Amino acid sequence: MADQISLKNIGKTYGTKVKTTVLQDVNLTFARGEYVAIIGQSGSGKSTLLNIISTLDRPTSGEIYAEDKNLTELTENELARFRNQTMGFIFQFHYLLPEFSALDNVLIPYWIGAGRKPPPDKVKLAKNLLERVGMADRMYNKSTDISGGQQQRVAIARALVNRPGIILADEPTGSLDSQTTVEVNKLLREINKDFKTTFIIVTHDRHIAAECDRVVEIVDGRIHKDYLTSGLEENKKWQDLAPVYCRESNGDCNTAGMCPSGKETG
Amino acid sequence: MFELTVALRFLKEGRLQSLLILSGIAIGIAVLIFLNALIGGLQVDLVNQTVGSSPHIAGRNREQEPRSVLGKVQQEPVVSIVATAGSAEKPLRNWTNLQEQLAETGKFTSVSPVINGSGFMILGERSLPVIVKGFDLEEANKIYDIRNKLVDGEFSAGRSAVLIGTELAEELKLSPGSIARLTTPTGETVTVTVSGIFDLGAQAINRSWVILSLPGAQTLFGLQGGITGIEMQVEDVFAADQITRILENRFPELIWSSWQEENANLLSALNSQSASSYLIQAFVLLAVTMGISSVLAVSVVQKSKQIGILKALGITTEGVSRIFLIQGALLGLGGSIIGSMVGWGLITLFLTFVRTETGEALFPITLGPGIFLVSVVVAVFAGMGAAALPARRAAQLNTVEVIKNG
Repeated sequence: MADQISLKNIGKTYGTKVKTTVLQDVNLTFARGEYVAIIGQSGSGKSTLLNIISTLDRPTSGEIYAEDKNLTELTENELARFRNQTMGFIFQFHYLLPEFSALDNVLIPYWIGAGRKPPPDKVKLAKNLLERVGMADRMYNKSTDISGGQQQRVAIARALVNRPGIILADEPTGSLDSQTTVEVNKLLREINKDFKTTFIIVTHDRHIAAECDRVVEIVDGRIHKDYLTSGLEENKKWQDLAPVYCRESNGDCNTAGMCPSGKETG
Repeated sequence: MFELTVALRFLKEGRLQSLLILSGIAIGIAVLIFLNALIGGLQVDLVNQTVGSSPHIAGRNREQEPRSVLGKVQQEPVVSIVATAGSAEKPLRNWTNLQEQLAETGKFTSVSPVINGSGFMILGERSLPVIVKGFDLEEANKIYDIRNKLVDGEFSAGRSAVLIGTELAEELKLSPGSIARLTTPTGETVTVTVSGIFDLGAQAINRSWVILSLPGAQTLFGLQGGITGIEMQVEDVFAADQITRILENRFPELIWSSWQEENANLLSALNSQSASSYLIQAFVLLAVTMGISSVLAVSVVQKSKQIGILKALGITTEGVSRIFLIQGALLGLGGSIIGSMVGWGLITLFLTFVRTETGEALFPITLGPGIFLVSVVVAVFAGMGAAALPARRAAQLNTVEVIKNG
């Protein structure tokens, strides 16, 4: 598979006087159709990494390539255009525009990209996508009148409307209940299979991570682990996905119920 | 256009906020229109009262023939009252040609040849100094509106039939049909019959004018077909000055003067009135602009999530700016349209309820579409100007910050 996105020696530092290094020497490539989880503790830099991949944030050093295009050289508006055409976004807090209906929200990326009102075939596509995510009967509802899980489904449909090659998701189930989490996870995976869309998902939810083909673990702004999960034993997967401190302290925190001794059921 | 749709939705969602600022703009624009119309109407009325019934431009011969008046003065000092130095100014010949040329320009509503002279009206023992006016009565009527201001007798003047003012008639106890003598400083005397009495609204005129026909005055002053001056009215009174300058170039043999030169005090009063009115309007507009600006600044904060998400989804920084500039323009447009209606209502109320004791409107106010059009255009641009800063802030919003903080 061809590399769709590649990161070369990415570093990110905040502050001018007191410098805080969030990311260091990150080298990653993502292939088309991959379903990747980026995991790590809060503060590890995983969200910053996702923001840099999604071009919402710029790295302090290093370069990002989309196929052969050097994204670090593009202007803000060129990046905006690039995002609009090639990337879909799913955020933790849904972020639908409350001023618009569910259907309008799905169409917004098209609207921005084309600069004109969506033609009937695009409206039909949006309706199909809403149907695909199980929101066909709520498409004319104001986005504030539907539940969190439903909003996230609409957001997923929105991420798909411009047929992007990559979907970037930051804690997509972070504010959903466990039942909805399972449903949304299933939906994301189905879309990955059906549309051959690359997914890069930042999560600390091991249920999501366990579903992924590949897991990138970030510790203190560096890539700690980067491995394919396919073929691994279920048990091994869960052990690998346990937080670093659990592995290092050799299960000391088991008593607190924070670390898995095997596959959890909940 | 996507930005327009978003701008409309943003305004619609911020219902109370939008309504309040719309009312604010509407009030501001209403005041603007009301003040403008009021001051405009007042000034037009003042100018009309001042120069509506008098010549806007007057021309007379450059060289005056000095004639001693003093030797012939009888009883009362005349010089201070009589406008012209001699019994008559040096006559202007071939004036029909000049009148035609002036009329051909099409700039004048009337071109009236006149003869100005001084004299005495004598009845028995009483003698009063007067200004003798030789008029082409129909042409002069277009300027002075004498026909409608006749209080007694009939509208005619001839070689020995005169029109006089009310004050003069009263002082000499004259009424239509009365006979008196008119004497010039050079001693020419003619017996005249009063045909009518006018009230031109100014005491000085009512006391001193004696109107003869043009040939009558020519004979009296021995002008041999000449006249002493020419008086005109123009369509646009404020253009009189400018036209006067043109006339000075074209007919340098005459001395031209405009009503503006004669009424410098009135004009400076009008100008300072306009200036203060403009100042008030400018401050009202400034307050309106600041109102729009502050509402939009708050809106940027309220809508920061939406802006962040739109930026992530690929809207350009210019696109974000446009959303807020359009909001400013829409607020200006909506507010000024409502304001125009309110302003129109205020003026109608003013004209209906503020009246003189006799029940007439204080002064006429004419409302053209121009003032409304200007208000709307100004308000739209003010709205966009007000939106400039909030729009800039919105465009610079950091998407990552917005998304991170849920």
